[in-house]
Amino acid sequence: MREVAIIGAGMIPFGRREQDELMDMLATASLKALDDAGLGDQSVDAVYVANVGGGMLQHQSAIASSLADRLSLLPAAAETIENGPASGASAVKAGFLAIASGYYDTVLVVGGEKMHDISAPRATDFVAAMTHPQAEYPYGITMAGLGGMFARLYMEKYKITPLHLHAVSVKNHEMGALNPYAHIKSPIVPEIVFEGDFAEINNPIVADPLRLYDLCPVSDGAAAVVLSTVEVAKRSGRPYAVVAGFGQATDTHTLAQREDPVELKAVTLAARAAFDMANLTPSDIHVAELHDAFTILEIAISEHVGFFKKGEGGEAALDGRTCLGGQIPINVSGGLKARGHPLGATGVAQVAEIVWQLRHELPPERQVQNAEVGLTINFGGFANNVLCFILKRAQP
Amino acid sequence: MLVAHRCKTCGKVHYPRHDRCLRCKRREFDEIHPQGNAKLLTYTAIYSLPSGFDQPFLIFGVGEFENNVRALGQIKTDSVKRLRTGMVVKAEWGPIRFQPDRIVSGLVFEPLE
Repeated sequence: MREVAIIGAGMIPFGRREQDELMDMLATASLKALDDAGLGDQSVDAVYVANVGGGMLQHQSAIASSLADRLSLLPAAAETIENGPASGASAVKAGFLAIASGYYDTVLVVGGEKMHDISAPRATDFVAAMTHPQAEYPYGITMAGLGGMFARLYMEKYKITPLHLHAVSVKNHEMGALNPYAHIKSPIVPEIVFEGDFAEINNPIVADPLRLYDLCPVSDGAAAVVLSTVEVAKRSGRPYAVVAGFGQATDTHTLAQREDPVELKAVTLAARAAFDMANLTPSDIHVAELHDAFTILEIAISEHVGFFKKGEGGEAALDGRTCLGGQIPINVSGGLKARGHPLGATGVAQVAEIVWQLRHELPPERQVQNAEVGLTINFGGFANNVLCFILKRAQP
Repeated sequence: MLVAHRCKTCGKVHYPRHDRCLRCKRREFDEIHPQGNAKLLTYTAIYSLPSGFDQPFLIFGVGEFENNVRALGQIKTDSVKRLRTGMVVKAEWGPIRFQPDRIVSGLVFEPLE
């Protein structure tokens, strides 16, 4: 298997982008990544596009074919990849495997989602379409609802309090405010959001016990990366990232069917596979992007990946061990919580963020000093399909 | 009525349906129905509802029946404050979703305590 490099990354600001078409967003992020890779006027061997809702929300299918044409990448191979909210990581995986196998030398991976073309209830229904079609969806359960049921059990079992969840939310909003690509750029004032007479209004319950500031926003956005052989990467003459480890695992579709519903078994297995491949351990990771669709998930994933023992993730967040400058900085981008969660874009955005961290080119207030190894965890569904990447800094 | 499946080889109970047993991978099952009351394993109330629901909120929970069937259901109560994990709920098959052309039925729990 050949070593695979990531030589370019591009993103557009996440948020409400009513004026943009899905294809506009995908094209803009792609061009930024191609320019960053130094391939501005060249083609690539293949294009993988991560998207979930094009068919349902924009009435558009075969999106990758359309993008290859729009970017004049013809006759590059093109595929659209749908794997729920893990579509982004799945598209990166497709590019990684294609280059590792020796079949392609350069691949463009782009993920994007346009979720504000429809009303909030319809967007909620669209996201809920990934729940089980007989055992969950007809009841009206939402992803936030599954998050609420998970949170109740996790909080009871591991003595997690709202203060632990607040710590995650405050950290990620603080970092999002520093990230030009983040959807939410307003730091949280705890005295206003969590305390005082208007806390119930400012931070209402959405999926008990989870409140508004425990949930990621509904976002539009796109992100792209360019993958290549190490030979191509070395020609750039500047630092790049290599894929040191990858792992993926699935779990039961319904939360109810899991023997212990608070065990994120697919996270543990995906991370273990990635660590084994990279010959690294959790203590070797310098920066991580974890799938914090809900604050409780950042805490739970940080434990299941192995950064902390079970039951210690909440205290670690509260102590600042997951902040920039802490033991393991998590979601320095703002995470899904503040950068936003345009489904197909998220997994690609996580990888792009780690690439920038490993190239040491972010502003000091967001740069993890001397970051050499980074990790991503991207969920499809409620932890029933999990992908983990471990990236390492490399020099030409 | 909810139909679950018990593996004929190892006895593992599945809901929803699986074509191979999660534990032993065999393919033969007996159809079973939930028996008795259920223990409430977890629950939530959601206030941001998907399209197709007109209520201000919905309350859900996962119940585990006496014959090990586990399933999600709506909960008939006016507040999550009346609920706690581990409490006993009774279950019935009733309306869970009202569509213009039909009423969808499903599992509905009601607290017994």
